[in-house]
Amino acid sequence: MSEPRDKDEKKKDAPLKPDEASRREFLGGAGLSVTAAALSGAGALLSGSDEAEAKATWGEWFQKNYRLMTEDEKREAVLRLEKRYTEEFGKQTTVDSAPAKEGVLFGYALNIQKCIGCRRCVYACVKENNQSRDNPEIQWIRVLKMEKGNFLAGDMDKGYPDPAGIQVGGNAYKNSGVVLEGEHYYEPAEVPEKGYFYFPMQCMQCEKPPCVKVCPVRTTYRDPDGIVVIDYNWCIGCRMCIAACPYWARRFNWGEPNLPAEEMNPVTHYLGNRPRMKGVAEKCTFCLQRTRQGRYTACVEVCPVGARKFGNLLDPDSEVRKILEKKKVFRLKAELNTYPKFFYFMD
Amino acid sequence: MRKTALAMLASFTAVLLLAPALHAEDTYIHYLKNKQEPADCFESRDGYSNATRTEVEPGLPNVKCSNKTGGVLWWGDPFDGTEPMGEMPVEADYTREEAVVKPRTGQLKYYMPCTACHNGSMVPYPKNKNPRPLAMHQDIVPDSMNLQHGQGAIWCLDCHNARNRDTFIDHKGGEIGLNQPQRLCGKCHGEVYSDWRDGIHGKRIGSWEKGGKKRWWVCTECHNPHTVQERRFDPIAPEPRPQYPRTRANADHERGHGAGAGH
Repeated sequence: MSEPRDKDEKKKDAPLKPDEASRREFLGGAGLSVTAAALSGAGALLSGSDEAEAKATWGEWFQKNYRLMTEDEKREAVLRLEKRYTEEFGKQTTVDSAPAKEGVLFGYALNIQKCIGCRRCVYACVKENNQSRDNPEIQWIRVLKMEKGNFLAGDMDKGYPDPAGIQVGGNAYKNSGVVLEGEHYYEPAEVPEKGYFYFPMQCMQCEKPPCVKVCPVRTTYRDPDGIVVIDYNWCIGCRMCIAACPYWARRFNWGEPNLPAEEMNPVTHYLGNRPRMKGVAEKCTFCLQRTRQGRYTACVEVCPVGARKFGNLLDPDSEVRKILEKKKVFRLKAELNTYPKFFYFMD
Repeated sequence: MRKTALAMLASFTAVLLLAPALHAEDTYIHYLKNKQEPADCFESRDGYSNATRTEVEPGLPNVKCSNKTGGVLWWGDPFDGTEPMGEMPVEADYTREEAVVKPRTGQLKYYMPCTACHNGSMVPYPKNKNPRPLAMHQDIVPDSMNLQHGQGAIWCLDCHNARNRDTFIDHKGGEIGLNQPQRLCGKCHGEVYSDWRDGIHGKRIGSWEKGGKKRWWVCTECHNPHTVQERRFDPIAPEPRPQYPRTRANADHERGHGAGAGH
């Protein structure tokens, strides 16, 4: 199946990398199998054009689930994507396929006391991870503005229908303590606002991810370094994962993503920030195109108050481990037994 | 009857057509389309550590900044313009790690260097450390007789070296470079210093890996030691809000929850 696609792509005179060029020479001499030629023909027929992009799309439709691909098949898919993105966005684009590192389990910690709600993490993430900028606007991080609460003894049972209730901090009619809903469209002239705190939310990279459990095509799965990844090519757009996620972490490309070429980040990973297509789910991957190469995530680097911390949970000297040791830590909705790798902490 | 239905249909269509216009202008896409990315940006806070946008190599900017606020959003090269941190913090096991900082001297308003004026002849050395009104630099410390830092226990010359103004001085008389303020601050703020050393307090960029190269933010890149009581941290402008859902003109629907809604 790979041979005819390469032959077709050869027509295009896009610059080839040296290794790619030699591979193509080799394949050119290798001859074509009958089935592959037939499939390629059908592809051109179905797509109604013989443009390289149409053929590349056809090639993508017929690739395996990423987890089942051999190393060769992965390399081929990556090369095809690199070529396509380079043409589409007019800049040299790399698509990494680095696997999880040995002995690494990524963990994240966020100091909820420090966060000022400036949303710089949101846009650092958008710039790094090639989200659709508009229509649909996709952002992986949401910052919730939450009211600072208090626990007034007098309010605790006032008006509560059943005095034997177990609700903590308020009652059915009147909130006391921290209200559990937040606003994320807040737009004051300046942050932080008095009387509020800010609560950023993104993918928690659960150890038992409900989204993975429900995915009918198993295109989303958890890699050994703890990151829940998506093979966008196998996503059928059923949005079960979005419904299953208790953390509002996943986004859906309702339309063709709108990513201006000059805004596009050309350093990508197959399972991470490569440009997505219409009809697939996406979410935070702890910037695996960066973190698997040793770099901090974009949101950690941008946080102007240093509230975001990241590191290897298996390394006792790492920042996250020190936080787990020294600070008051909680995980969101821990009672759901999802075992998030995202910790909130306080000084 | 039919007329009413038509009118209703017309008004409904009008609402539909108007719907995109209902999106207020303060969104990311608005700034993306209508505003240029500024060349002068700031890293943590405006006036504390500023950065000028250039290219580290063709096509790779050193920083990407917000079109709205000018805050740095993305580092192309996290080590651009840095120098080695120098003496690593004691007790910590970072001997295998490469730590760099951005020199503070480049960010200081009056650094020419300081000893260009404070050299004993142009400006005489102070006789003692007692508080007195300042003749200059009131923009940094408006009321030197009532210095906020230390609540009266310390004064300028407990930190600034009277004899060599290009350095700090610690409580034992040891000189500390202006680019290593953490070594001075840590003398009193031990608990925070310990957290900073462990990477819990403050900020680092670069490599998360053990032994990887990191740029550490030093104390004065975020904190102004001269205004610690009032204006401890000035509020800053946030980045644009997310777009409202297609059918909403405002965010009133989310204010329907919570304590403010008067349940």
